[in-house]
Amino acid sequence: MNAMSFVVRASYAPVTAIVLVFATWTTASVSAAENPGAALIERGRYLAIAGDCIACHTGPGGKPMAGGLAVATPIGPIISTNITPSKMDGIGNYSLEDFSAALRRGIRADGQPLYPAMPYTSYAKVTDDDIKALYAYFMLGVEAVEHKPAKTELPFPFSIRLSMRVWDWLFLDTRPYSTDPARSAAWNRGAYLTLGLAHCGACHTPRNFLMAEQGSRLLGGADLGAWFAPNISSDHDSGVGAWSTVDLVHYMRDGHAGNIGQAAGPMADVVGNSLSNMQEEDLSAIAEFLKTAPAIHDSTDVRPAFAWGAASDALSTVRGVAVPVHRGQWSGARLYDAYCATCHQAQGQGSFDGGLPSLFHNTTLGRGNTSNLVMVILYGVHRKPDVNMPGFGSDLSDQEIATLGSYLMQQFGNPAGSVTVEQVNGARAGGPSGAWIVWVARLAIGIALLVLIGAALISLRRAALVKKSAG
Amino acid sequence: MPDVAAADFIVVGSGIIGSTVARRLVQSGASVIILEAGPRVTRAEIVARYRNSTRRSDWMSPYPPAPWAPHPIYQPVSNNYLLQSGPYPYEAEYIRQVGGTTWHWAAQAWRNVPNDFKIKSLYGVGVDWPFGYDELEPFYQEVEELMGVSGAPNTGSPRTKPFPMEPVAEPFAMRRIRERIASDYEVVTNTTARNSRTYDGRPACCGNNSCQPICPIDAQYHGGLAAHAAETAGAKLIPDANVYRLDHDEQGRISAALYYDPNKSSHRVTGKVFIIAANGIESPRLLLLSASDKFPRGLANSNDMVGRNLMDHPSTSLTFDADEDLWLGRGPQSPSSIGAMRDGPFRAEHAPYRLDFTNISRVDSATNALIAQGVYGDEFARRLRHSAARELNVKNVLEVLPDPINRITLSDQKDAMGIPKPETHYSIADYTRRGHERSQQDFRRIAELMGGSNLRFSKEGSYANNQHICGTLSMGNDPNSSVCDQWGRAHEHDNLYLAGTGVLPTCGTCNSTENGLAVALRTTHRILAEHKVGRMPASSRLG
Repeated sequence: MNAMSFVVRASYAPVTAIVLVFATWTTASVSAAENPGAALIERGRYLAIAGDCIACHTGPGGKPMAGGLAVATPIGPIISTNITPSKMDGIGNYSLEDFSAALRRGIRADGQPLYPAMPYTSYAKVTDDDIKALYAYFMLGVEAVEHKPAKTELPFPFSIRLSMRVWDWLFLDTRPYSTDPARSAAWNRGAYLTLGLAHCGACHTPRNFLMAEQGSRLLGGADLGAWFAPNISSDHDSGVGAWSTVDLVHYMRDGHAGNIGQAAGPMADVVGNSLSNMQEEDLSAIAEFLKTAPAIHDSTDVRPAFAWGAASDALSTVRGVAVPVHRGQWSGARLYDAYCATCHQAQGQGSFDGGLPSLFHNTTLGRGNTSNLVMVILYGVHRKPDVNMPGFGSDLSDQEIATLGSYLMQQFGNPAGSVTVEQVNGARAGGPSGAWIVWVARLAIGIALLVLIGAALISLRRAALVKKSAG
Repeated sequence: MPDVAAADFIVVGSGIIGSTVARRLVQSGASVIILEAGPRVTRAEIVARYRNSTRRSDWMSPYPPAPWAPHPIYQPVSNNYLLQSGPYPYEAEYIRQVGGTTWHWAAQAWRNVPNDFKIKSLYGVGVDWPFGYDELEPFYQEVEELMGVSGAPNTGSPRTKPFPMEPVAEPFAMRRIRERIASDYEVVTNTTARNSRTYDGRPACCGNNSCQPICPIDAQYHGGLAAHAAETAGAKLIPDANVYRLDHDEQGRISAALYYDPNKSSHRVTGKVFIIAANGIESPRLLLLSASDKFPRGLANSNDMVGRNLMDHPSTSLTFDADEDLWLGRGPQSPSSIGAMRDGPFRAEHAPYRLDFTNISRVDSATNALIAQGVYGDEFARRLRHSAARELNVKNVLEVLPDPINRITLSDQKDAMGIPKPETHYSIADYTRRGHERSQQDFRRIAELMGGSNLRFSKEGSYANNQHICGTLSMGNDPNSSVCDQWGRAHEHDNLYLAGTGVLPTCGTCNSTENGLAVALRTTHRILAEHKVGRMPASSRLG
C-alpha cells in the first residue's frame, strides 16, 4: 500500500466504520431513521435506481445485479458483470476506492479498464458523498449472488482493453459535477442527475466516430440500435422545448405524457426500472434542466413533433369495398382497419381517457425519423406495470409494415416521414442495415489509432526512464 | 396415392381441443401431425370482414366457408350443408378453419358443478359420467391456466387452486343488475377465458364488445392461439386437408387418415395413434364415412351409438326495458349470470338452467327492429336511444338429457367434394320444456326488480341454439351404450381416441368448451402413458 492510497483509505475510514457496524445488523430490520447506516444504504439504493444499474447488470431471468446481460454494441456484445457483494463472483472484495474507480474512472479493481458501455463518463459527475452511499448499498443492501456471467470477448482489436486508457485520456472528464451558483438548486440537481447518474446522454447524445458522446450535440438525439433516442434538448421544434414541465414529469413518472408521447423499447425499461421509482422533485429537477439544455436544432423540424396530424376519416375509403382475397393487395387503410383501429379507433383518436393513445399529435408519428414507429409496429409497447401493445412483427410482412407505416405518417403524422421495406428489414435485423458495418470499420481504424498512440506513449515513457536511470 | 406423411400421432381437427391435445403430445417429444379441413385465416382478415359486414349480428358473416370444406350457413340464406330430419331444427353453427369454432365465442369457460357428473344416481335422469368432478379438477385447472381464465369464486365448482387472474372489471349494467336483484338472486361474474391483465403476451380486454364474432385484440383465448401454440411447440399442421376416411388394418387398428386437398387430390397420412377432434358433428360424420367391409356401420359403431345422444343448450329469453339507463355494450358480451338453478332435487322433474345476462350492445338489434316497424326521423333517434340505454335481455341455458333419438347421421346429399353431408335429427324433450316453463317466473321476477316494462318473451315453443354441440361420441363404461371408454378410446379400436365436446356424456348447464378441453387433456394424459414414445428420429419410430 503506497502513501497515496493510504490517504484515500484514511479519508473514507468513517464510512467504512459505519458500514462495518451495520454489517452486523443486516439481518434485523432496522429502520433508516433509527440508524445512520440504514439511512446511507437507503440513499444508495435510491441513487442506484437513479443510475439504473439493474437494467444492464441483471441477466435475462437472473437475480438482480448478478450480471449476464449481453449489451449489444456496434463492436459486439459486452456482457455485464456481477455487481452483487459476492466475494467469489461479484464486487465483494472491492474497497470504496476500487468501487469509486470503477464507477467514475472505468477501472476495475484488477486495474483493467472497463469498456465505456459502462457509462463511467457520466458517473464521473457523481459526488464523493453519493459514491459512499452507493458503496454502502452495494455492499450491504444487495443480496450476494454466486453467479459468474460469461466473459466479454470482443474481436481484435477491440479485445485490447488497454486501448481504453487512451480513449479515457481523450474523452473522460474526471471532474465531479460542480454547482452552477447562477442557477437554482433544483436546476443544479437536475443537471447533476441528467448528466451524471441518470446518464441520459448515453442514449440521447450522438456519438463520434470513436463512440464518445459529442459534447457539442448534448442530448440532441441518436440512433440506438434500431430505435431512435430522440432529441431531448430544449429546442422548441426538435427537442422538448415545447413540452411543459408537467408533461415531462408525467412522461418520466408514468411512461406517457397524456396523449403526446409514450415510452417504448429501451425507454420503457428506463421508466419502469428507474424514472418511475424516483422522487417527483427529482423528476421536476430533471425536467427543469432539460428545458434549458442547449437547444440542438434540426432545420427539417418546423414544429414540435406532437403538433402534427389530425383525426382522419380515411377508413371510409375501404367501407363497402370487398376485402381483397390476397393480403398483398391490402391498402394502408385496410391494414389500419384490421390491425390498429380496434384500439386507436376509426379516426386515430385513441380512447377518451388516453389509455389507448391517439395517433395524431403523437411524437412517435411527428418526427421525420420513423425508426420508433417501425419498432413499435414490429415489437409493440411493453411497459410496467401493465401497458402491453402487442407487436405485429410475426403477423405483418416487411411490405405490409412499410405500407401501414407510411399510411400512418400520411394520415396522422409528419407527412415528410415514410417507411420503406428496407428499413423494416433492417429493423428486424437489429438496426439500420449497413450502418453497423460502417461503425465497425470506423472503430477498427479508431482503435488501431489508439493502440499506436498508446505504443508511442509507452516508448516515450521508456525513453524518459532510460534517460533518468542513465542520468 | 401421393404424399404419404407420417407421425406418431395424427390429430384430425385444429380447433381449440385438437390443437391443445397436439401441443401436449408434441411437448412429450412425439411427432404430431394436425389435419385441418379448412384454410388458415388471420385475425386481421376476420376483423376486416366483420367491419365490412352489413350483418353485424350474424356472427357467421366474417367466416365464409371454404368450398372444399363447407360448414353450415343460415344467413342470408341456408347453404343446406347440415340437413334437418327431426321434429325440431338443429341449426348448429361451427367454423371449419385453422383454430375452429372458438374464433367466435364469448369465452365462457365453465366447469361443471360436481352433481352434473352423477345425475342418474342422484336424480334418476340422464347418465352418470364414468368419473367424477374431483378426477377432472386438475385438468380444469390446467385448462384455465393455459387459456387465462378468471371468474367468481362462488359458482358451485370447488377449486383447489386459484384462478390465474382476477375477473375483468364488472360493466356498469351488470353492477346495477347485481345490486337491484340482490334480494332474490345472487349474480356472479362468469368464468371466462378473457384477460383482465396482460397474460401470456396477450393484452387485457378493452371492451370492444365484439367477442362474437371476433375479439379483435386476442384478449380472449381461442383455437387460433391454440393452433399457433401447437405449431410453435413443433406439431406439423396441414391446413386445407379435408379428412374423408380413416383406414384400418386386420385387427381394426387405424392405419391411415385420407384427406382431400382443395383440388380433390387424395393424400394418405399414417401414424401410430389417431385422435379425432373435429367437433361434435364432423367427428361422428368421419367415423360413419369410414365404413368398411369389416365395419359396415362405420368405425366404433357396431353398437350404432356413433352420432347419437346429440345435445346442446336451448334457450328461451325475456327482453324488457329497465327503468334506468344501463347502456349494454360496454365491456365483454357475457359478463354475469345466475347459477341458483344449475343444480337441485328439481332435476328429477325438469331441466336445470343457468340464467345468463347479455351485455351485447342493443344498437344493431334495436335499429333493425325500428326499421322493420317503419320508424324514421326524430322518433327513430329517440327510440333507438331509449332501447340502447334501457333494453335488457336475460336467457336461460337449459340442460338437454342424452337421448339416442337425437343424432347425427350421413345424408344422401353430398357436398362439393362429393362427401355425404351431415344430417341431424333433433327434438326438444318435455324435460327441457318444463325447465323453460320454470324459468319464466325468474324472468318475471327479474323484470319486476329492474322496474321492467315492455316485456317481450321469446316466442313460445321457439328455442335459440347455443352451439354447444355435445354427446355424439358418448363416453361411458358400458360398451353397448357408449362410443368410447372413460379415456376417450373407441371401444372397438385400440389406437383411436376421440376428443371434443362430443364425448361428454351429459351437457349440464354450462358452455361446453372447458369441459371438452379438460376431458381431452385427461385423455392426452392417458395416451402418453399408454403409448410411450421415445425421442427417436421419426423414421425409426414408424414401421
